[in-house]
Amino acid sequence: MAELDNTLFIREMFSKFYSENFNRIEIPKSIENREFGFTLFRENVMIRHKSFSRADDLRDFIKKSVPSNAYYSSAYYNMPEAKMDEKGWLGSDLFFDIDADHIPTKCNKEHDSWICKSCGFKGRGRTPEKCPNCGNEGFEEKTWPCEICLEAAKLETIKLIDILLEDLGFSADEIKCSFSGHRGYHICIESEEVLGLDTFARKEIVDYVTGTGIDVTLHGLNEVRSRGSRIITGPSLGDAGWRGRAARGTYDFLLTATIEDLRSLGLRKDIAIEIIEKREAILESWRGGGPWSVISGLGVKSWEKIILHGLSLQSARVDTVVTVDVHRLIRLPGTLHGKTGLLKVSFPASRIEEFDPLKEAVAFKGGEVKIYVEEAPEFRFGDEVFGPFERQVVALPIQAALFLLCKGAARVVD
Amino acid sequence: MNSKLQFLGETGILLSSDLAKYPFLPESAEEIKRLDFKIEDVLEPNYASILDRAEKRIVEALTSNPPEVSYDPSADVNVEILSFPMAIVLASATASDYIKRRYALAEARRAYNLLKIESEEKVIEVAKRFGWRIRLASIEIGLEKFDFALHFIDYLKSATTLFHEKGWKLVNRLVVRGEVYLSKQDVARLLQEEIRRHIELKIDPKMRSLIPEGIIKRADSLKMMYAEKIKEEPLTIEGLASPDIEVNLFPPCVRGLYEAALSGRHIPHIGRFTLTSFLLNIGIDPNFIVDLFRKSADFNERMTRYQIEHIAGQRGSRTKYIPPKCDTLQTHGLCPGMDELCRRIKHPLTYYLRRKRRRVSGA
Repeated sequence: MAELDNTLFIREMFSKFYSENFNRIEIPKSIENREFGFTLFRENVMIRHKSFSRADDLRDFIKKSVPSNAYYSSAYYNMPEAKMDEKGWLGSDLFFDIDADHIPTKCNKEHDSWICKSCGFKGRGRTPEKCPNCGNEGFEEKTWPCEICLEAAKLETIKLIDILLEDLGFSADEIKCSFSGHRGYHICIESEEVLGLDTFARKEIVDYVTGTGIDVTLHGLNEVRSRGSRIITGPSLGDAGWRGRAARGTYDFLLTATIEDLRSLGLRKDIAIEIIEKREAILESWRGGGPWSVISGLGVKSWEKIILHGLSLQSARVDTVVTVDVHRLIRLPGTLHGKTGLLKVSFPASRIEEFDPLKEAVAFKGGEVKIYVEEAPEFRFGDEVFGPFERQVVALPIQAALFLLCKGAARVVD
Repeated sequence: MNSKLQFLGETGILLSSDLAKYPFLPESAEEIKRLDFKIEDVLEPNYASILDRAEKRIVEALTSNPPEVSYDPSADVNVEILSFPMAIVLASATASDYIKRRYALAEARRAYNLLKIESEEKVIEVAKRFGWRIRLASIEIGLEKFDFALHFIDYLKSATTLFHEKGWKLVNRLVVRGEVYLSKQDVARLLQEEIRRHIELKIDPKMRSLIPEGIIKRADSLKMMYAEKIKEEPLTIEGLASPDIEVNLFPPCVRGLYEAALSGRHIPHIGRFTLTSFLLNIGIDPNFIVDLFRKSADFNERMTRYQIEHIAGQRGSRTKYIPPKCDTLQTHGLCPGMDELCRRIKHPLTYYLRRKRRRVSGA
């Protein structure tokens, strides 16, 4: 019974939000060519292949049916309601998904937990590929949007925006940013010229932003032999594109690298020691022609290892599958996330640095609800900090209570 | 499908000697209109040289290796220009997919070799006919010199068949503010791809019914004469049962390569290696794999057989090879994107084995 009460309560809150804020639901460009999908609170199935010809129809539908999640296709179709292979694909927005799940973080996801669906074995941190107990692959997962995870996702988003602006030449107005309502960020580009790109072209764009398949010898790392001596040349800090990123990433890495860091890249111990000893000279020489020949034992192969590591610090870790999929369903901005009760909220790319997801995604202000919390780490909404809680009844503002209920960490009490 | 070639009006930059070099440009069609030349005319004795040259263009494509149509600066300009659309008609009349692909490649390679040594201005003129947003750049960075800047979207569209070569991956290019910086040779190579696709689209076997009888006859005898060179259908080897290939159990990468091989599309070296080693490892007969590659425009039976036997461990080092890991395939641009199962495995063979096992145990 308790779970039903929870669902009823969550649905009631979602319903209240949509009747008071239906104008916040964002209407995608060319609504009539988009496919929509929803999950409802009652059945655990996705309703797909829906279409709406007008903004009001979509808003009315959401207000009346109160979905637990609402999605739209990044693709444009001739007949969005038809079966998948009969829809008639017309094009697709260029879409990027950055999710803390895919980013290694300092919190090590200690706040996440998993239970094996077959044998009930449980653990904390990242979900293993196979259950260590029975070897099966199905898990029930509980994840938590912690501040460290959200900050890590934001940093990747900032790097992505920089590449989209500086390298690929999109304007800030074309880059539509949003917080997903859970653990990540979405970036969507709807400009005419990207719509017709096929999967292969999108794969190249993904490889570009993630630095996949990069060969640093094609970005300026070279050995020049003249009169018996060899000179190594490399990219400069001020260069454009990946050349400059390679140099800046390497510079940042060497600024704080330890002997162990260098050894873990596969460098010989004596070379690692020499690099650390000559660190000042290396960094200094960057202001001139570049540091590439400062250490005599350091050849192109070793530099390549160091630069590749430097590069990885500059790349944007996006979920590669999402961008190349030209039929993907995307959470609709201005709707609530069923796993958190938070809003998927859009914001201009220029605001990314100051954007506070745990403030701006708050959908409910004030109120008070009494709930029993099984277990929850400390968390924050806006300027208010809550918890940690463990097996206790607490009175919380609606958003905080809704969040714990959606997460399955609490239940409603009378 | 419509051609995307654009006629830019009288620019005065392209002369008729240029049209003889690049007869696929829309200006050539204007020139032909001006001369009021019709298909039937070519059968008149006066125009025999045009039909002869048209036929020679196709014969050169079939007999040279790598395929390339010749260029003779002293040849009659009008014959050069008019013989090109006539060769398209002739190639369409053969209704041969192999001739279509081989001829398009041979004309495109001819254009590439001419564009490589062309002036920058003319290269830009040709590129603009394909709708490219391109401009002269002439900048030097490090040791490299870049002559052109091309909009990155146009780059992605034209380089689509080249991404498997690491030097053509976008990530290995200098990309600044939406433009890819390129050398003249790079631009010529990209134009080769555009030209090849453009010519393939122009050759339409459905046109055969509209073509005058005299030309159909020429096409049929041409086909007969070079039957040995035309590798259309896979040969069936006696005593070799068509193997039970369960393509639906293949991972997306191998499925893509397999379909590409079946339709005779170009597959990069690493792709051929992946497909071959994959098929060998799931127990497919090497003879069948030789046949699979038969449709490729540059098929060479002896070479293909040698390579397959090498991978099978029957030659050379006697090592039996397995396909590259997912990581490696991703790096080479051969991963078309992962499905649910892909995310849980690291090797394409594991994918196949899991699918096979699951199907059996679920039955």
